Amino acid sequence: MSKIDRLVELFQSVEPAVRLEVLLDYADRLPPLPPEYAPLRDAGLGMIHECQSPVFLMAQAEGGRLRIVADAPREAPTARGFTSLLIEAFDGAPPEAVVAAPPNLLHALGLAELIGMQRTRGLSGIYARLRAEAARHAGPTS
Amino acid sequence: MPVDDRSRVLVSTAWVAERLDDADDIRLVESDEDILLYETGHIPGAVKLDWTTDLQDETTRDFIDAARFEQLCAARGISNDTTLVFYGDKNNWWACYAFWVFRLFGHERCLVMDGGRRKWIDEGRPLTREKPQHPPGAYRVAAPQPGIRAFREDVLRRLAEGGAALVDVRSPGEFRGEVTHMPDYPQEGALRAGHIPGARSVPWSRAVAEDGTFKPREELEAIYLTEKGLRPDEEVIAYCRIGERSSHTWFVLTHLLGFERVRNYDGSWTEWGNLVGVPIEKGDEAPR
Repeated sequence: MSKIDRLVELFQSVEPAVRLEVLLDYADRLPPLPPEYAPLRDAGLGMIHECQSPVFLMAQAEGGRLRIVADAPREAPTARGFTSLLIEAFDGAPPEAVVAAPPNLLHALGLAELIGMQRTRGLSGIYARLRAEAARHAGPTS
Repeated sequence: MPVDDRSRVLVSTAWVAERLDDADDIRLVESDEDILLYETGHIPGAVKLDWTTDLQDETTRDFIDAARFEQLCAARGISNDTTLVFYGDKNNWWACYAFWVFRLFGHERCLVMDGGRRKWIDEGRPLTREKPQHPPGAYRVAAPQPGIRAFREDVLRRLAEGGAALVDVRSPGEFRGEVTHMPDYPQEGALRAGHIPGARSVPWSRAVAEDGTFKPREELEAIYLTEKGLRPDEEVIAYCRIGERSSHTWFVLTHLLGFERVRNYDGSWTEWGNLVGVPIEKGDEAPR
């Protein structure tokens, strides 16, 4: 079972209020942006414009594994938590794992119903960016 | 209308800090764009009010009904005579939105903490993650104020008959019709870009000073009265994209400038810009 499937299962197994607590926990644990990426972020590269908060995300492939770096402000814990969850699920995984993950992840995690439609569409932009980058690095699907 | 309404609706962070122990009569209400921001730390004793999941009906595009509003208040320890102090992120957009919704339901004692969450934090004041436990309130919606809300029919009628000034508080690019949403907010788009014919363009942020507080009255008068030619005795309808920034301007006009008949069109551009057959203007503000 992939990491993301386990996370989906975990989110589905807990009460709605607990899902938000778990997301907040992820927000607290977002790894700091490696300093070498700060200039890129500050130059506006890798920014996700679908999101209401300035979220930065880049995914590169190294030896068939994704290396994801991201940053999101503390004032936007929902975006920050979701970004952190994506790193937990997919950093170090093969790009194909992202491609194979549920396309509407926020629904699968049971978060969409809790945060409302507008926020869901905003956060979907972060995931769409990751999926686009993963698809670029993934091998041809048979 | 009192000459200085400001002191009756705006309180400072220091005023709030001095009254943190007065949970019997005063309830702090945090309302943020981000649904988890309150949980990362809030003013001690403050309750959370989410603009989407608490105030809006999840099925119909409308606010919750009076019965649910009463439950919402009671659960937060809010009674009819509780003084509410709203504050939040993003220059108090959602605080003003919540303030406006509470006025819509007829709640009398509503205040806004000037400068919002940002100013409180910048001043190094305390935050906590501890959820407050207030005894349940007793709430009855007695005298709703539907007159502070405008629907699309009201706007259409005013367009046909005249008699109301429209104030568009979105960014200049949205007003001119160059973009259908404000930068970074594409999920609140519309199928057509532009503004309601005859609207005056006054981006909401012009009412806000550098430190996030509302500008002094003279500066606000210079913008809304002198520059834009609005009169405190005329009817004004404010709109934006989804009604939150325009509730900020509704607050400024009604409570800081003493306008008598201001309405917030909360359907705003996400409704007007998607409606079939309604008139739209593009480009700069029409000369008056």
